[in-house]
Amino acid sequence: MKLVLKIRFKFLALLAVAVVVSQSVYAQADIKHLEQVATLIRENKTTQAERELATFLRSNPNHPLALNLLGTIRAKQNRLAEAETLFVKAVDQQPRYSGARMNLAFLYLQKREPAKAVVQLKEVLTLEPTNTEVMVVLGDAHLATGALEEAERQYLDALEGRLDNAAALLGLAQISRAKGEIKETTLYLTRVGTLAADSKSPEFLYKFAAVALQAGMSDAAKAALENALKLRPNEPAYLLALGIAWLRKGDLFEAEKVFRHLIRLQPASEPAQVHLGYVLLNQKKYDEARLWLEKSARSASPMPEVFYYLGLVAQEQNDDAKAILLFEKAVQKLPNYAHARIALGSSYIKLRNYPRAKEELETAVKLDPEEPKAHYNLALLYARLKDTARAQEEMRIVEKLKAKGAGSDGVVVLPATPNPH
Amino acid sequence: MKSVVFVLALLLSVVFEEVPPQTSKITWVHNNAQSADRQLPETVGAGCAFLDYDNDGWMDIYFVNSGPSDFFTPATPLKNALYRNNGNGTFTDVTHKAGVAGGKFGMGVAAADFDADGFVDLYITNYGSNILYRNNGNGTFTDVTDKAGVASPGWSTCATWFDFDNDGRLDLFVSSFVFYDKSQNPLCTDATLKRRYYCVPRLFKPTPSRLFRNTGNGTFQDVSRDSGIAAHPGKSFGAVATDVNNDGLMDLFVANDTMPNFLFVNKGGGKFEEIGLAAGVAYGEAGRPRSGMGVDAADYDGDGWQDLFVANIDHEFFSLYHNDKELIFTDQPGEIAPATQLLSGWGLKFFDYDNDGDPDLFLVNGHPDDMIESRIPRVRHKEPLLLFENTGRGFKDVSANSGAVFGKMFSGRGMAVGDFDNDGDADVLTSNNGEPPLLLRNHGGNKNNWVGLNLVATKSNSAAVGAVITWQVGAVKRTRLRTGGGSYLSSHDPREILGVGAAAKIDSIEIRWPSGATDRITNLPLNKYIKVVEGAGQSKS
Repeated sequence: MKLVLKIRFKFLALLAVAVVVSQSVYAQADIKHLEQVATLIRENKTTQAERELATFLRSNPNHPLALNLLGTIRAKQNRLAEAETLFVKAVDQQPRYSGARMNLAFLYLQKREPAKAVVQLKEVLTLEPTNTEVMVVLGDAHLATGALEEAERQYLDALEGRLDNAAALLGLAQISRAKGEIKETTLYLTRVGTLAADSKSPEFLYKFAAVALQAGMSDAAKAALENALKLRPNEPAYLLALGIAWLRKGDLFEAEKVFRHLIRLQPASEPAQVHLGYVLLNQKKYDEARLWLEKSARSASPMPEVFYYLGLVAQEQNDDAKAILLFEKAVQKLPNYAHARIALGSSYIKLRNYPRAKEELETAVKLDPEEPKAHYNLALLYARLKDTARAQEEMRIVEKLKAKGAGSDGVVVLPATPNPH
Repeated sequence: MKSVVFVLALLLSVVFEEVPPQTSKITWVHNNAQSADRQLPETVGAGCAFLDYDNDGWMDIYFVNSGPSDFFTPATPLKNALYRNNGNGTFTDVTHKAGVAGGKFGMGVAAADFDADGFVDLYITNYGSNILYRNNGNGTFTDVTDKAGVASPGWSTCATWFDFDNDGRLDLFVSSFVFYDKSQNPLCTDATLKRRYYCVPRLFKPTPSRLFRNTGNGTFQDVSRDSGIAAHPGKSFGAVATDVNNDGLMDLFVANDTMPNFLFVNKGGGKFEEIGLAAGVAYGEAGRPRSGMGVDAADYDGDGWQDLFVANIDHEFFSLYHNDKELIFTDQPGEIAPATQLLSGWGLKFFDYDNDGDPDLFLVNGHPDDMIESRIPRVRHKEPLLLFENTGRGFKDVSANSGAVFGKMFSGRGMAVGDFDNDGDADVLTSNNGEPPLLLRNHGGNKNNWVGLNLVATKSNSAAVGAVITWQVGAVKRTRLRTGGGSYLSSHDPREILGVGAAAKIDSIEIRWPSGATDRITNLPLNKYIKVVEGAGQSKS
């Protein structure tokens, strides 16, 4: 279950930079006027800001500051193509306009075009070689392209030898995690957690929480998300991540509370429906779980997990024929879905169709050899077929995998964490 | 109008009411021997029993207590207790007169007439070694453990009387828990508590349970190895003898803590085969063993096949294994699962509390770790009782409407069912760890009609374990198999109450005895206990 983190880019934060750079070039009166427009945007008085800008641009159609501001409004309105055109036009008009370039970079990151962001950020860094914030964003952009070494260089530059830049440390934590350096990841994240304790940036807290969740630091993630929600109460993305953090902590009751709150705020939210359904399924409250999952399944493009979870509900309610149809739907959407294959195997065992069960379970083992559930079901199958030796061998594998901590606990796969990018 | 409906609902519902010690005169209190060392046996006791030791027709009560052991020396003497039912709602402590005080670190009790002399005997399981008290028939008992050869040293938990070889004599299955002595108590603690808590049984080695064959001359032969039982070391807390494949041979379902459960299928010829994995009753989801404690068996859905129940620890959910035939089970707990998510279950029994004819389910709960509240959110040390009514489509939690006692918290462990006031509905006795016991009177179960059976075997085993009782009321035919053991460390009233519902008559009762003999009885009086003698039918009311 991929949940995309919705980062609110700090377009407006760059207005100040924009104005400073432009001071020598543009009329003081225009700058003052546009500063007022920027304030309107900050205060979410978008209509008024748009009106002011329209008037201004009629007489100054190529004014980069105005173009940048209008681009910011369009980005806020999620009209990304228009925003991009406006930012590009602003940069064309004033190539040394770092604010517009930064906005363009943020836009590209939002559009998941990190390579384009890298180009803009490198330009900004030539203009502002000591701007550590730009270094971190460039690091993030490199990280998003998979260029770990370049990313690391930027983060280290941003740190300037001190361990007090939380954003840079978070970047390093992500690099360590990508390299599989568990100890280093934990160390970085612990330090970030300390630095972020008093953070006033909900975006950063959310980003940190997402990385912490991926690193298995559910407590740190939970704390950060609770702080983020204090700064921006009822933000759906934060609530969703907080619910996931509770799930990761194994506290289904708190997770249920959070997801129910989220559902109240966004009754049609598919992730909220799926997660609530998932939590209820794990609490064996099957009827209500099915209700939410079915709602989610009616969405335009339901996730394969929804069918898997619905299949589990059917399976638990002893309707294996229906469960099989649902698991097959999940597999159609995601052929490598090992858990759905295991569930198919399990249903076929219950229906005593042992050849089909064997086929599905062997496929599942190929897809995910480290998943104990697949081996347990094979053990069950072999035991039913009176093949004691193979049943015992599969149970030995289960024990080994469990000792290693492999596999997901509980009934179903735990949902994925939000993606920090 | 609403209040009238509510009052009406209360009048119609069945309520369990606490009988206070001032009324019952039961003053005995369990001492769990809790120490700073947190020795594991402290947390699992103890059991209780309904039995009629003096054959006066009234259910007496037996409680098991802690006692001296390698890790515990009581400051004042502790004793098990036998309370004689005075027939008027009060009980008298006759422990010393009867000679059944125990004197060891007690766990459970299994009452049955092992020598078929017409008087019920007592087998007491202990941490240490067990005791077999033979009933002398004059209000006293004699310790015959050594002669009988059933001391079964180690840490025994539940004991189950049943006749595995259908020779008409009661054999004995003794559940063994882990290998333990005071030197085996590792330090279990954490930085937050800075105190010991009880270690989980996962840290201790399993031990094989024992099966003793009754030779008929007052002695038992240890057949653990020959039968195949000893080949499966476990950490058993509960066992029930039942016939899961309807072949007339009693099988054993054994709940293990932190290990797979065992289903020993009786293959005949004195041999058992363990098929827990293939049957689907050994593990929880994903092949993870759970913490099985109390168990029971009954055909809850009336399909003619014995289903199984296991109470597990918090967050593991309790299991209701539906018998899908061909020795395959599916865990279908329904409403029981969410209700037990945070609970740890011990004593339990399927019984028909409202005499509507189908088996309902009573659960006794309590977390073994007294410090659990500092360690796991929302899990309590003391937990509520639960009552589930069989709706015909599953089980419905009716605890909230079944008496104030369901709103209280207990360190519940043992649980026995019996009609101590002979009013035709089943009452409940629980034994609580480190607390006074609970005697719960069933109010209203006898609003429905019933027939009580006192089965007297002549060829079959004296407890008639394995007997199949079928009763017909109009078009409805119901069947009950008489199981052995079950619950947790406890022993039930041996009589069977057959619920008839609102029907004005019961058409017939048929008893198929383990010997193969069948008795059919018609023209039965309602709302009375009757004695049914094997081969002779109804004897007298």
